[in-house]
Amino acid sequence: MNIDQIKKEFPIFDEKIQNNDLVYLDSANSSQKPKVVVDRINEFYTKQFSNVGRSVHYLAVAATNLYENTRTSVQKYINAKDKNEIVFTKGATEALNLVANTLGQSYLHEGDEVLITELEHHSNYVPWHFLRKSKNIKINFAEINEEGEITLEEIEKKITPKTKLISITHLSNVTGAILPVKEITQLAHSKGIIVVVDGCQGAPHLKLDMQDLDCDFYAISCHKMYGPTGLGVLYGKKKWLEELPPYQGGGGMINEVKKDMISYGELPNKYEAGTMATAQVIAFDQSIKFLESIGIENVMKHEADLVEYGQELLQKNNSVKLIGNPKNKGGVLSFTIEGVHPHDIATILDEDGVAIRAGHHCCQILHDKLNIPASARASVGIYNTKEDLDQLNQSINNCKKIFNL
Amino acid sequence: MNLKELYQEIILEHGKNPRNLRKTEGFNKDAKGNNPLCGDNVHVYLKLNGQKIVEDASFEGSGCAISMASASIMTDLIKGKNEHEAKDIVEDFLGMIKENPELKSEHLNEDEKTKLMCLSGVKQYPMRVKCATLSWHTMVSAFDENNEEVKTEN
Ligand SMILES: Cc1ncc(COP(=O)(O)O)c(C=O)c1O
Repeated sequence: MNIDQIKKEFPIFDEKIQNNDLVYLDSANSSQKPKVVVDRINEFYTKQFSNVGRSVHYLAVAATNLYENTRTSVQKYINAKDKNEIVFTKGATEALNLVANTLGQSYLHEGDEVLITELEHHSNYVPWHFLRKSKNIKINFAEINEEGEITLEEIEKKITPKTKLISITHLSNVTGAILPVKEITQLAHSKGIIVVVDGCQGAPHLKLDMQDLDCDFYAISCHKMYGPTGLGVLYGKKKWLEELPPYQGGGGMINEVKKDMISYGELPNKYEAGTMATAQVIAFDQSIKFLESIGIENVMKHEADLVEYGQELLQKNNSVKLIGNPKNKGGVLSFTIEGVHPHDIATILDEDGVAIRAGHHCCQILHDKLNIPASARASVGIYNTKEDLDQLNQSINNCKKIFNL
Repeated sequence: MNLKELYQEIILEHGKNPRNLRKTEGFNKDAKGNNPLCGDNVHVYLKLNGQKIVEDASFEGSGCAISMASASIMTDLIKGKNEHEAKDIVEDFLGMIKENPELKSEHLNEDEKTKLMCLSGVKQYPMRVKCATLSWHTMVSAFDENNEEVKTEN
């Protein structure tokens, strides 16, 4: 695999960012887009545009086919059993809200318990909090260990007879910990508990096999997966998607509408009310093809090498403190520098063209637990190189110099 | 863009050893501010005497060097001013941070102006302007006895 070649497929790296070459280390936030994806959006709008699923004219039929092709590609990519288990949403956030909302309407009742973890992104906590408010369900938190991991044992410990659902991240966007989702699902199912996975960080970086993982729901964020913004995927087991009530009402999701009754459409239309992000869905097919052309095993190997290299580099850099040290770790390096606030780190690194994120990364619960208000985070994607991490380290040193450390 | 202009010695020094980072005893006005994007927060305390003059000003909170230095310098120079003067200074400061080339308030002496101008490097960093202004907005809220938490505008 030739990373230089892969990097050339991303037009943004031809740009000078404030006179610097871009060292993009913010892929956990959102990834850059390969030219094929950008071109596909352009092509669709310039040559093929039509709304999908509504009209019988040529363009509408062609666009509908393209749209549905992506659904099939996603199904294959994540090895879902059925095409109708793939629902497009506006993002992983909407996917998780859809799950919480519809389960809240029909499955979760007062006194039921939902188990999440201290690693969760706000989008896998706030939707459950809504149910805590509206339905009086209880939320329990599985706690991280010293290394910033969530173990199977910890999950087991936190399950009570009232636990109805476990909702967990596949890969922490702060500590990088990869959770034993398959084992957790086995355990949960043995107790009749359903499992929701926030797969935002898992999908772009790990091999996905829904039938093997066996979770009930899996939320994907397409913009972190070399795809367009405004798009997410909810995988849901067919029996759930068939059984649960609709989420949003409007055009496209109905079967029959009368003054005194309405019946709802079949899957997948049932959960795709209104005009969807058509161009984005069609272009996302190219993101999947792009990932497939590299091979997820190669992606995983490359990113694991990068993380190991970066971790070693930062561990040697005194005054840098890495957050978490999980055995099974994805491409995320979160850190603090004693005496320099993460925002100052990010501003100083930016001056060298090094783009990282500073803040709580939508994980305030975790930062409270770690007793820090914020952290700096460098995260990698397929286009990153060891030189990028060398530059990160060098810019960190510049930061220390400015702050007289 | 110039990091040296942003991180001047005086900012680093105030950032590292913020003045008035404590809670004023017997304060009679206070307000909280929060930057929801990054989780930074500040709590400003004022003690006004019978003549409505700021006898003491202090703050608690955590944040970046810019926000700590800004709160530190602010609480220092607001002491001895009355509400009207203080608000005039706030307006002048916010104007300077956003666009004005210099400070104009008649309630600031040259030394105070020089100190405040050290924060002017923030201008070139739009994402960081709110770091410099949070404590100032919070102080106004304390004067106004606004019980709502101040949120930085984006
Ligand atoms: C772990 C995790 N969950 C959820 C989200 C939200 O995803 P989206 O931007 O697709 O709504 C993110 C991205 O910020 C994330 O990192």
